[in-house]
Amino acid sequence: MYSLEVKNLTKTFGKITAVDNANFEVPEGSIFGLIGRNGAGKTTTIRMMMGIYLPDNGEVVLKGAKIGPEFKSRVGYLPEERGLYKKMKVIDTLYYFAEIKGKRKNEVHKKVDEYLKRFELYDRRLSKVEDLSKGNQQKVQFIATILHDPDFIILDEPFSGLDPVNTNLLKDIILEMKQKGKVIIFSTHLMDFAEKLCDHIAMIDHGKIILKGSLKEIKQKYSQKNVSLTYNGDVSFLNHHPIIDKVENFGNTTGIRLKEANQTQELLKLLLDNNVIVKKFDANDISLQEIFIELAGKDEDNFKKEVANV
Amino acid sequence: MFNYRILAVIKRELMEKLFSKAFITMTLLVPGLIFLMLGIQAFLYSSEKKNLRIDIITESNELTNSFLNDFIKSEYSKSGKYVFSFQTMNRDELKKYLEGKKKELIDEKLGGIVFVPTSALNDKKVEYYSKSSQNISLFKDLDGLINKTLIDQYFHNKTLSKEELDFARLGVDFTGFKVSEDEGIKEEGYGNLVLAYLFTFLLYISLLMIGQMTMQSVIEEKNNRIVEVVLSSVSPTELMTGKILGATLTGIIQMAIWLSPVILLMSTTIFVLPKELLFSININVIIYMLINFLIGLLTFIGLFAMLGAIFDNPQDASSGTLPVMMLIIIPFFIALSMMEDPNKPIAEIASLFPFASIIVMPARMTLVGVPTLHLILAVVINILTFIAIFPIAGKIYRIGILRTGKKPKWSEVFKWLRYKY
Repeated sequence: MYSLEVKNLTKTFGKITAVDNANFEVPEGSIFGLIGRNGAGKTTTIRMMMGIYLPDNGEVVLKGAKIGPEFKSRVGYLPEERGLYKKMKVIDTLYYFAEIKGKRKNEVHKKVDEYLKRFELYDRRLSKVEDLSKGNQQKVQFIATILHDPDFIILDEPFSGLDPVNTNLLKDIILEMKQKGKVIIFSTHLMDFAEKLCDHIAMIDHGKIILKGSLKEIKQKYSQKNVSLTYNGDVSFLNHHPIIDKVENFGNTTGIRLKEANQTQELLKLLLDNNVIVKKFDANDISLQEIFIELAGKDEDNFKKEVANV
Repeated sequence: MFNYRILAVIKRELMEKLFSKAFITMTLLVPGLIFLMLGIQAFLYSSEKKNLRIDIITESNELTNSFLNDFIKSEYSKSGKYVFSFQTMNRDELKKYLEGKKKELIDEKLGGIVFVPTSALNDKKVEYYSKSSQNISLFKDLDGLINKTLIDQYFHNKTLSKEELDFARLGVDFTGFKVSEDEGIKEEGYGNLVLAYLFTFLLYISLLMIGQMTMQSVIEEKNNRIVEVVLSSVSPTELMTGKILGATLTGIIQMAIWLSPVILLMSTTIFVLPKELLFSININVIIYMLINFLIGLLTFIGLFAMLGAIFDNPQDASSGTLPVMMLIIIPFFIALSMMEDPNKPIAEIASLFPFASIIVMPARMTLVGVPTLHLILAVVINILTFIAIFPIAGKIYRIGILRTGKKPKWSEVFKWLRYKY
């Protein structure tokens, strides 16, 4: 059963097609990742799902019916570009964001205190937002996102600009929400996070969905003929070996693609024979990053640099 | 059209603006300044130099005596504004006298010396010696007195009845009457003119101030990236509507505070204005002004919100606001230029013209009677302008609010109107 379906979404800005006939489905109770590099169309897709942009074509369907303005009050949304009213007090900010979601002060009053205490902001509740550190402002933002107890949580590049403490805090929130049965949708260009958190993904490139489905199934499908290797030594001899299709170096691990699925034992032997110290040899394993590069590999080198810089 | 989201936005805007330092300072400062200005004027009026010493010198004892008799009886002498002393000497003696008095004149211990030669009985030419040779208020004060004495002297030996003499002595006295359609003919002072200036300034200041505040607040939302968070809850139209209504309420509250002294003066007799400053306007003028102002605020704030959405930062915005500012500044100057002649054709046109009528009409109807048809027409035109402007401003706002980066050209902004958002 799908909770949310995106059907034929298209959006153009002048001559640029930002999202091109995108289709994907978000299953109930899942963490869903919308994955793609910067400028692939993730934010535009999410903005259309939030009703911030009107799509040129297509629709977003919630349990069979096209979403309307009331959908917004059921969503907690954390955009990539986020901010708060600097001159407002922390507590007024939280009440305001709850109010525009249709929750009155006395409805959320207890929760506000609860969250502020949990995030160690309770004694700052009467401070102006501008007097808070950036990390604390982000915490206020998280609280504002989930305060009204939304059914859906949509996060656009949620981990960009977060310090490690807040990154973990947000991860906890996401997992907690999942346990409560909420649907979490987030976009990211960090494959690592997506791989760790998501149940389902859709991969977007140049505005088109190039891959979608359950992460597990996708990995299974792409991992055949693939070996993930951690080692000490020199493996350059593999580059032109007849059983090897491709070698990708990802720093800590190396992804090796074989020409046939039954050649894994042969590869292991080859490595040992060449005095490579094998620390980890994972047959039929592939990282999301490898899949992504394989599918959207045209600007592969640029992307690798981009990923390496993050 | 109203829902909890718009109400929440209105509430926030209202709170933010009403409790901002800029608003509180301006709102309290402006009436303060007005009273201060009125006070200074009244003070200057009452504290004009008293006991100004003036020497009146003629060439014959007879003339000196008749000046003495007339001047002592004059109100200037009684009120102590001038202290006159009288002497008789001829022109040669006067030269020596002036030499002797030179220091006193320069030190302003002696206000001035008026020399009335005997020839004045033929040509009414008198001479005035002082540190500053042109003293309009003194000339105005003494003109009538000297004229009267000269006339008396001239007709002294001629057979004329007292009535004939009295008529000859009279100066011309202008009394201002205002002609309007409904109230008949009424005598009035400068009060309405002062009021017309006041209305013009208040409308001008408030439109600019509230407009700028709204624009800054839109820029802040855009600049601080709050807007996308907010837009995940409210639609851009709801946000804009809430902001405009919040700011409009702020403006109306401000104007009501500013006008309260005027309403107070109209409705009570506790405060006594000097006769020259008495004004006569109907409370309807104030109500009309507020209604007109309300529509004007809605339109202008819409435009300022639109400008805020186009630009990323206050620097870019300051140059881009010029076209909208002109819509406030030009009517302001038209209204000011209208004061000397409220029946100028340009005043009539401007008081009906979209945008301009908001500032020009209240001043015009304070000064002259305006046909009811014109009053209604101005409001209808303003409402139509608002209806025409709002969707355009709204669309540009919706598109601009999520754009960042390069300052857009006006041609690009016009292209936005064709986008589907």
